Amino acid sequence: MSTPHTVSSDLVVIEAPRRPSLGQRAGIVLVSAITLFALFGPWLVGIDPARQQLERYLELPSLGHPLGFDQLGRDMLARLAHGARLSLSLATVSVLSAAIPGSVLGLLAAWRGGWPERVLAAFADAVLALPGLLLVLLLSAFTPGGFWPLYVGISLALWVEYFRVVRAASRILLASPHVEAARLLGFGPLHIVRRHLLPELLPRLFTLMRFGFAGAVLAMSALGFVGVGLQPPTPELGVMMIELLPYYGEAPWLIGAPVLLLFLTLLGLLLLAPEREAA
Amino acid sequence: MNPALVVENLAVLLGDKALVRDISFTIPAGGVLTLLGESGSGKSLLAQAIMGNLPAPLRCEGQVAIGGQSTAAADQSSRHAGWGRRLALLPQEPWLALDPTMRVREQILETYSLVGKAQKRGARGLAERALASLGLGDAARKYPFMLSGGMAQRVAFLATHAAGAPVMIIDEPTKGLDADRRGEVLELLRAAQAEGMSLLCITHDIWLARQLGGQLAVMLDGAMIEQGVTAEVLDAPRADYTRRLLAADPGSWPAGQAASAGDVVVRVDGIAKSYAQHTLFAGVDARIAAGEVVAVSGPSGSGKTTFGNIVLGLTKPDSGQVERASGLAPTAFQKIQQDPGAAFAPRIRLRQSLRDLVELHRLDWSRLEALLGRMRLASALLDRLPHQVSGGELQRIALARVLLMKPALIFADEPTSRLDPVTQQDVFALLLEHVRASSCAMLLVTHDADIVRSVASRRIGLSGAT
Repeated sequence: MSTPHTVSSDLVVIEAPRRPSLGQRAGIVLVSAITLFALFGPWLVGIDPARQQLERYLELPSLGHPLGFDQLGRDMLARLAHGARLSLSLATVSVLSAAIPGSVLGLLAAWRGGWPERVLAAFADAVLALPGLLLVLLLSAFTPGGFWPLYVGISLALWVEYFRVVRAASRILLASPHVEAARLLGFGPLHIVRRHLLPELLPRLFTLMRFGFAGAVLAMSALGFVGVGLQPPTPELGVMMIELLPYYGEAPWLIGAPVLLLFLTLLGLLLLAPEREAA
Repeated sequence: MNPALVVENLAVLLGDKALVRDISFTIPAGGVLTLLGESGSGKSLLAQAIMGNLPAPLRCEGQVAIGGQSTAAADQSSRHAGWGRRLALLPQEPWLALDPTMRVREQILETYSLVGKAQKRGARGLAERALASLGLGDAARKYPFMLSGGMAQRVAFLATHAAGAPVMIIDEPTKGLDADRRGEVLELLRAAQAEGMSLLCITHDIWLARQLGGQLAVMLDGAMIEQGVTAEVLDAPRADYTRRLLAADPGSWPAGQAASAGDVVVRVDGIAKSYAQHTLFAGVDARIAAGEVVAVSGPSGSGKTTFGNIVLGLTKPDSGQVERASGLAPTAFQKIQQDPGAAFAPRIRLRQSLRDLVELHRLDWSRLEALLGRMRLASALLDRLPHQVSGGELQRIALARVLLMKPALIFADEPTSRLDPVTQQDVFALLLEHVRASSCAMLLVTHDADIVRSVASRRIGLSGAT
């Protein structure tokens, strides 16, 4: 929660609208560039990422194929673009489907109190006690290589932090004088959520979601890397890394590409943070 | 001997706008200067400028000499080395500055050994003797949350004082305190004075200024408009503004008139409330009628606010009943909160908050405009966020918001304890005017016996039973 910019107890200074810092602007540029690449890259490259031309095995980058070809003679740029699209959209969906129910449940728990809150909190603690990746591994064991267990598993591991943060912050807000005043003035729950809770909660949720997104991309890559996540030949960043690792010595740019893309995505997301982090 | 504190031509600037200007004064060794003025007059800025901890966008000019060592006011960091040793600051509500995870003795010890540079063993003895001398011997092993307000205040005072700074700046030491606590604060300050400390005391509290004696300076809009011997200034103020300030002190308000009570709006029968093992009150009966101003009195911690919240229906009593007169709207009972800054949704512009209310109850916006006009509030204020409006203005907006609901009962919970005397008088005048005009009842909680005497037609006593 940002504190009002008050210079002293008895002097109120009207603050100028804050301009994004240099770091934030860099973050905005990075994140939008990567988003555009993931959205339009596959279409712009226009090459099937699964098409093998074995004779072009590990071919060097050229004008028509800026990243060259991989170990099976597939166009590397096409694979990178498809990989970015898949990894980033899966991460977005996982984060949203963790954040929305997590926040709603947190809000309900804080609002309702009593036994529903205790039950939800106990469930959240139980989920928290399991390492997140273990949960995904467990689900993936039933349907190896599938998309759904990966997605459900990551959401299940991630919703707890939204629940906990929203519940803790809402409890404080619901006990505050301004909510008390709103109740006395006859306002209902919807108004209180919209005007009193959400404006305070959203900056924190945004922070959590940025970190959660970074976590989801990493988790998926890690799972792909250990061979539990999506399976080859699906162009997913983690899968690509494991496939290309043996060729590190001969063609380092091949494995370098997904690693750099992942690094830049996470860097961009972390740079988006307001200078004084809200949460 | 050098004077303890000399300030020459001090100014505090934001851009090229002077927030505080032409401040010059001298406090002799062992002397007292009290700064009196309303919120926004720049008192606290002046203290920050002398300490050298003005926040970034502000600059200052002039000279500050502490114990004969002169520094340019602008060179703020030059005074940091003397913090605690040559110059100390007791902040507002100083108990908030205590470390909640440290025992009292360790906190005091820290000041002796780290700031005062006493030997570890010597420091322990010093700390214990100092605690005992303030009657805190038993508190040494406690944590701050286990202390009463008065004890915490003494601990904070000791922590400020322990490194032996000969000059202490004290910011609003009696803000929001009841008469007993104010007396304790005065004793502390007098004891410090008797040890030869020099004090710069910033306050709204005219009673405290008179008791401290010494010199008095009155501030208005960042300048000193009157300066002299305290008793002389208070008895024969020369500036108009000083006269207004003195008249605004609740001590000089006229005594209240008995109100003609109308129909009973709420009956309270035998209510009791306790938290854990602590009984706040039990068996309280009350009838509150339209047109009455009923003060809830009792020592601090006796549950005055809880009582009001039970009457409003915000808190459930453990036993007993609260019965509203029939035919009242659910929103007929309203509350004016102690801290107006916390009474509005913090990130929503005031105009939006009020428009939501008008739309919810299908009210007439022009009625609100009229109310704001009578509160002498410019409509442009509504385009700001709550924290961008001063406390006095915000409290008047809160009052307009409550009156818009045509309440049958207003519970005013310390409505002015965070406001300065002129604003306080203003808010009370408006509050009473509207309570009388709309024949609504008012339940008032205040620590200030003078306000009760002047405003209330009747009182309900809470004994503070344990």
